[in-house]
Amino acid sequence: MNSPSPFNTASFRQRALAEARYAADIIPQTAILAEVVRCPHPHALVKHIDSRATLAVPGVLAVLTAADFEGTHLGHIHSDEPVLSSVARYVGDGVAAVAARDRQSLMRGIEALRVDYEVLPHAITIDDALASPVAIHDFCADNIADKFQAIRGDWQAVKSRVALWVENTFETAAVPHAYLEPRACLVRVDGNRLELVCGSHAPSMMADSYRPIVAGWGSQLEVVTPAIGGSFGAKWGHPTHLVCLLFAQRLQRDVAMVLSRRDDMIAGRTRAAMRFKMRIGATAEGELVAKETVLWSDNGAYSLHGPAVMKAAAIRGDNLYRFSAVKADAQLIYTNNMPSECFRGFGITQSTFAQEQLIDELAHRLNLDPVKLRLSNIVHEGDTTVHGWKIGSCGIADCLDSISKRISQHRRGKTLPRNERYRTGYGLAAFIHCIGNRGYDTRFDRAFVKLAVLPEGGIRISSGEVELGCGTVEVLTKTVARELAVSRDQLEVVLGNTATGPHGMGSFASRTSFFVAMAAEDACRRFKQGVQRLMVEFAMPNPPILSELIEHARQQQRLGDLEVTGVYQPTGVVVPDESGYGNISAAYTFGAHGCCIQVDTYTGKVTVRQYWAAHDAGTIVNSNGAQGQVIGGVIQGIGFALTECASVAENGQLLNPGYLDNRVPTFADATPVEVLFINTFEKKGPAGAKTIGEPPIIPVAACIANAVHDAVGVRIYRLPITSERLWRAMNDDGSRLEPDDN
Amino acid sequence: MSTGVYLRVNGEEHEIPGQWLGRRLLDYLRHELRLMSVKEGCGEGDCGACTVFVDTEPVCACLLLCGVVADRNITTIEGLPKDFRQSFAQLCEKHGGLQCGFCTPGFTMMSAWLTGGGTETGKDSVNKLMAGNICRCGIYQQLKKVIAELI
Repeated sequence: MNSPSPFNTASFRQRALAEARYAADIIPQTAILAEVVRCPHPHALVKHIDSRATLAVPGVLAVLTAADFEGTHLGHIHSDEPVLSSVARYVGDGVAAVAARDRQSLMRGIEALRVDYEVLPHAITIDDALASPVAIHDFCADNIADKFQAIRGDWQAVKSRVALWVENTFETAAVPHAYLEPRACLVRVDGNRLELVCGSHAPSMMADSYRPIVAGWGSQLEVVTPAIGGSFGAKWGHPTHLVCLLFAQRLQRDVAMVLSRRDDMIAGRTRAAMRFKMRIGATAEGELVAKETVLWSDNGAYSLHGPAVMKAAAIRGDNLYRFSAVKADAQLIYTNNMPSECFRGFGITQSTFAQEQLIDELAHRLNLDPVKLRLSNIVHEGDTTVHGWKIGSCGIADCLDSISKRISQHRRGKTLPRNERYRTGYGLAAFIHCIGNRGYDTRFDRAFVKLAVLPEGGIRISSGEVELGCGTVEVLTKTVARELAVSRDQLEVVLGNTATGPHGMGSFASRTSFFVAMAAEDACRRFKQGVQRLMVEFAMPNPPILSELIEHARQQQRLGDLEVTGVYQPTGVVVPDESGYGNISAAYTFGAHGCCIQVDTYTGKVTVRQYWAAHDAGTIVNSNGAQGQVIGGVIQGIGFALTECASVAENGQLLNPGYLDNRVPTFADATPVEVLFINTFEKKGPAGAKTIGEPPIIPVAACIANAVHDAVGVRIYRLPITSERLWRAMNDDGSRLEPDDN
Repeated sequence: MSTGVYLRVNGEEHEIPGQWLGRRLLDYLRHELRLMSVKEGCGEGDCGACTVFVDTEPVCACLLLCGVVADRNITTIEGLPKDFRQSFAQLCEKHGGLQCGFCTPGFTMMSAWLTGGGTETGKDSVNKLMAGNICRCGIYQQLKKVIAELI
C-alpha cells in the first residue's frame, strides 16, 4: 500500500469547509491512469481491435479488451452487462481500455487504437425494439428482458360497480442522474490485495458482487468509501471499476480513472423511461374501485435494477388507495440506449405521474373536489392494502388537508396577475412509499452498527451504510450520543469500509436513517451491557462514570469487551410472492404536494411560483436534514417535470451529454418550497421516526401537470413538460391563440 | 527550464513549467499544487464547482489555460480568510446549506465574492448571479439563506 488506507467519513463540517475528499481528490500523482474506449455506434459487432500502435506509444502500459473479461458479466438481477463488450449495445458501451503513466500518453494511446466495427441494426425506442427482428442479446430473441403480472380482487364483481373509467397513456423520459461528482475510482494494490476506493451508495453489496470475479484472478478485494458527490441511485457497480481492478492486478500499480462529464453522461446510467397505459374506475359517488396498468419500461442495453424498478412502477402506487381490484401487466424491454438504473423513487416517481393525473381527471369528470376524492379513498392505519402492505402510522389525511388549506389561502390571496398572456394554476398530488424492501435482496435485509472504544480515546461508530448528504453521520452521532450520554466530539464515524466492516446493504428504498438508527440503538444497548459487566467486575460505583470505566478498561487491556455490533432486522415483513403480494416494509411514509404555477401562453413556458410539500416522515429527528431532503427532492422533481431528458437521436447518439443542454434546475429556478411535516409516531421506528430520502421527488411531476391542466385546460401526458410541448398541446386544436395574435 | 511565466496562487508565486502553459488552470491547481478544494464537475463551465478568483473576478478554472492567466493573482478556498470559511461553514450548519458537498467549494467562492464587495448586488439578483453554480442536491433555498446572512 503506497499510503495509509482512508478515511473517516467526512462530517458535515468538513464538507462545509471544503475539506471533504472525494475519490478524484485522493489519486496520488504516481497513479497509473486508465480510460475506456467507447463505441460510437448504438449497436455494433467489434470485429477486430489492433492495439499494436497504442502499445507502441511511450507511457502506455497496457490495453484490455473483451477477451480479458471473457465470461464475466455484471448485473444484480440478470447478469447481462459485459465489462468490455465484443458486441457494443449502446453509444458509449466500452470496447477496450488503455492504461498509461500520464494523461497525454493515455490520450495518444486511445487515438492510436484501431477498432473495426460491423454496424448492426439498432432500436432505440420501445416500439422499435419490440418490432425489431434483431435481438440485442443472443439469449433474448424478442428483446423482452423481463415480465411481470399481478391480478388482485374479483374483476367481474368490480367491473359492474364502475360507473366511470378514466384512461390514458403517459410517457416519462430517461433522465441522467447528473450527480455533480463524475464517476471516479482509485484501485490500490498490495500484492494480491486490491482496494477499490470509490463513491458508491452500496459498497458492501458491490464488493460482494465483484469478489468472485476478482477471486478468479487470484486476488482479494476490499471497498473503501470516501466522500460521495451525489448518487441518487446511480453509483452502483460499473464496468470502469473492473477495468481499473484488472489493470491494477496485472500491472501491480495503483490505477485511477475519472470520467469526463461527457463520458459520465453517455455511459453513466439514467432513470428508466416508461410508458403507462393506465385506467382507474370509480363509482358515481367517487369510490375508487379498480385500477389497471400496462407498463413498458425501457431497460436500455443492460438490466441492472431494471426488473425491480419495473415491478415497483407497475404496482406500488396502488397501495395509496383502497382499490378493490387491480391488474398490472409490465414488460421490460432491451433497447440500444444507455442502461437504466434505479433513481430516487425507484419507478414510483414515473408511475405517480400517471396515477395522480388520472385521479385528478376522475375528480373533474365526476365533478368532485380532488382533495375530497383522495381523502375518501386513501388507506388508513391498520389497513392491509391491495398488495398486502400493512399500514402502520399514517398521516396522509393531514398531509392532504394541509396542502388543500395552503392552496385555498394562496388562491384567495390572488398574489399573481391573471391576464391574457399568463395563466395561473394550482395542482396537487399524493404518494405512498416504503422504508426498505424485504424483497429487494432475499439474502439480506439487515443493518449493522459497530461501536468500538479507540485506544487514543473516543468511540468509533462503524457501519456499512454510507453518507450521501442525507445525514447518516448526523443520525448515527445523534443516536449514540443520546443513548450513551457522551458528547458528540467523542464520536467518530467510519462508513462503507468493507475491510473494517460491518456489512451494509446500502442506500435503497429510503432505508438508511431508519435502519442505522435502529441498529445503533441496539449497539448502544449491547455497549451498556458491556459497561455493566465491567463495572461489576471492576467493583466500580453504580452508575459508572463512562470515561473512568473506559480508562480502567484500557489499563486492564479490556477495551475489547466494549466492542459491540448492533443489528436491526425489521419484523413483520416478508419477501413478496411472484405477483408482488406481501408486506415488504416495516413502516410506510406518505405525503401530498401542492403547487402554484404560471403558464406563459405565448411560449408555453411553465414557471413554478410556489410549492408546498407535506410529508409524514414520522417524528422528525434531524430537522435541518429532513427539510433539505424535501426541498432538494422537490427541486430535482421540477427538473424531471419540466426540463430534464436524455435526448437520443434516431442514430442513437445522445444529443445533450452535459449540463448545458440537459438542463437541471439552477439557482434561477429555485422555487420557494414550504415544507410541512405532519408529525406521526412510528412505533417500529427509531424514536418514532420514518424516513424522507426518496419521497420528496415522487409526486412533483404529477403535481405540476395537474396545475398545468388547471391553468390552461390542457393535460400533458409526456415528460418533460417543455415549453414547446405545452405550446403545441395548447395550440393543437387551432382554437387557441397563435404566438403572433394580438 | 525556466519559462519566466509566473502565477500567484493564494499569495504564493509559482513559475509555470513549459508543459503547463497550454493546459488548464484547473489541472495545474489540482495536480501540481494539490489544491483539492477546486472540483471538476463538468469541465465545460456549466457547473461552477471549480470557481476560483482571477484577481477579484470569479471564473471557472476549467475554462482557462495557465498561460492566459500569467502574472495574475489566483485565489482558491485555501486562500480565503479563515474566519470567512468558518462563518460560511457555520451558516451551512445552521441552515442545512449542503448535502453531498461537491458544489460547496464553488458556492463558497461565489459567496466570498458577493460578500466581499466584489459586485453591486441587490438581494433580488442573487438568483441570477448564482445561476452558474449547480447544486444537484437542489438546496438553493438553504444556500440563499446562507448568502443572505453573510451579506
